[in-house]
Amino acid sequence: MEDLTLLSGRQWIINQKDSSTLEDCSKVPVIENGLCNRCGSKVECKLPSGKLYCRACIGLGRANEGDILVRCQNASQFSKLPNGGMTWNGQLTTLQQKISDNLVLNFKQKKSSLVHAVTGAGKTEMLFQLIAECMKNGKRACIATPRIDVVNELFPRFEAAFAEIEIGKYHGREYQEPNLDQLTICTTHQLLKFYEAFDLLVIDEVDSFPYVGNDQLHFAAKNAVKKDGVRVYLTATPTEDLLEEVKQGKIEILKLNRRFHGGLLPVPREKLFIKPFLNKKGQIHANLLAEVKKVVKSEHPLLIFVPRIEQIPIYLAALKKKLKDNNVKIVGVHAQDSQRIEKVAAFRERKYDILLTTTILERGVTFKNVWVIIVAADDPIYTAASLVQIAGRVGRAKEDKTGLVLYCYHRYTKNIRSSIKQIKGMNK
Amino acid sequence: MRQCLLCEQEFIPPIKFAQIFSLKNFRQPKICFHCLNQFEKLTGNRCSVCSKMMEQGIICSDCKKWQKIYQGEVLHNSALYRYNSAFHDLMVAYKRRGDYVLREVLQELSWDYLSKTEFDYYIPVPTSPGHQVKRQFDTISAVYGDIVSLTPLLAKKEGSHAQGEKNKEERLKTPQSFFIDKTIKIKENIQTGKVLLLDDIYTTGRTLYHARDCLKSRFPGMHIESFSICR
Ligand SMILES: [Zn+2]
Ligand SMILES: [Zn+2]
Ligand SMILES: [Zn+2]
Repeated sequence: MEDLTLLSGRQWIINQKDSSTLEDCSKVPVIENGLCNRCGSKVECKLPSGKLYCRACIGLGRANEGDILVRCQNASQFSKLPNGGMTWNGQLTTLQQKISDNLVLNFKQKKSSLVHAVTGAGKTEMLFQLIAECMKNGKRACIATPRIDVVNELFPRFEAAFAEIEIGKYHGREYQEPNLDQLTICTTHQLLKFYEAFDLLVIDEVDSFPYVGNDQLHFAAKNAVKKDGVRVYLTATPTEDLLEEVKQGKIEILKLNRRFHGGLLPVPREKLFIKPFLNKKGQIHANLLAEVKKVVKSEHPLLIFVPRIEQIPIYLAALKKKLKDNNVKIVGVHAQDSQRIEKVAAFRERKYDILLTTTILERGVTFKNVWVIIVAADDPIYTAASLVQIAGRVGRAKEDKTGLVLYCYHRYTKNIRSSIKQIKGMNK
Repeated sequence: MRQCLLCEQEFIPPIKFAQIFSLKNFRQPKICFHCLNQFEKLTGNRCSVCSKMMEQGIICSDCKKWQKIYQGEVLHNSALYRYNSAFHDLMVAYKRRGDYVLREVLQELSWDYLSKTEFDYYIPVPTSPGHQVKRQFDTISAVYGDIVSLTPLLAKKEGSHAQGEKNKEERLKTPQSFFIDKTIKIKENIQTGKVLLLDDIYTTGRTLYHARDCLKSRFPGMHIESFSICR
């Protein structure tokens, strides 16, 4: 905590006994009126002393009643590079260019935007000119996303596109000394460490877990931008609260219905099953197995979604048994899997043919040429939005625009119907 | 509907058969079925001394070592769960982050067993005073104090490091750091009383043997066993 310039825009907790004088910093009690000032959560749990502490943001160090939240607000200085440090010289499609121009214009006018783009529309590329505009003026930007996988995917792309800018990467699985970066790429959780830090805050995948419906993260996102800062939300399925802000004129909606290669979203195929997907002996339904084998034969990597974590090992065993003669490599991954990142990376490198998973992988993560089978697409765990997202994994590469998205179901649900309607609607 | 202390999902606690016909107040479960299932009960072949799960054999290698050092006077330890990654995560959240409310999860895991034991004294293994000041609670007493009545006869010297920060070899070489807290009132029968030492995790046994050494030096006639949730 010695060099305060590196901590500009950040907030952290000190013990009240800690009497160090921190210039350029504002100080507020971290717990106030039963609320946590760091994460906005209601604070209910007590220590034996009777003092409250916040469970919601405890991963960043326990906030106890009586502690002080220090907010470093000295103005950060960055050099103004003529082109905003952008080294990317790729081409945008006409439609992408239009969105990109709009984002730049809105930023100049200090107006927030919501980009509603179908999955695979090339959202990242559309951000480059916006970021460059921000950097060019010596201002500070942050791209936040709910998921670590997406942070890991975005970081190298921005590193390549902005070779002259110092980019910070922060997420909970990698310890990183706080630094004063002109561009920060982090998880939405990390935003809890910032206070009025950014002139521009982009939130990618706003509709995905854990950001969606999480008051704590919404609070953090609100706190992290400067009072006159600009927010940009990116999503394939806008949430109600954002649409409400659009209606109230607080943010402008920018729509892009075409994928960057101009292709359409693959419309899912539906397959009705009468008997259970797994019988009592743990054997997989012959028709389901046949579908899996077809994909394997086509040499496309296959994502199989099952509704619940507990089902992953069961399906894994059943599939392994049936496919062992075909020399097929299968792996299962779920949200609490400690090897999640490694497994996903190995699947991307085609070290596995099949990745068995739950909805955690529904968004943001791209796999080249991947095809998808959803087992029990009628399960209530799949909302229409998540089905659209899952379907959006497929057909993203230029040379392979179509692909299989297969819904396996027992009961045709409203969500299945609505997701197909949405996909067809976006293809019009 | 209740909210799970670990995953925060809403869950419906299962109703036990006995609960319907009982007038007693049942302790409400604090964690959901899925989270509970992450904790692996010790089953199958186990070390007859310390409860460690083993492929085969009667006494584990750790206990064989203690057998030699203490000329057969081993410490009998009961344990309920295996120290797997779910337990590791729980202990990190509870001890390192200081999430005090998680003591209720540890209580849920040990309540049934511990409340049925019959010892004259339950003595918690103390944590280092430095850590306790920082956390603002004692990790062991906070768990067991609600289940049995504690006699905090042991205290820990300042400056001794937590076992969790050491590797196995360093743990075994750790010097004795416990002493008897003379301010605690004790009854006459403690000299020959039945005592259960309480700890959270049994890793090498070093801590618990030290605790026993310390008690034995003052009360040679004491009958001492130990309990840890994990082995
Ligand atoms: Zn908080
Ligand atoms: Zn749970
Ligand atoms: Zn043993």
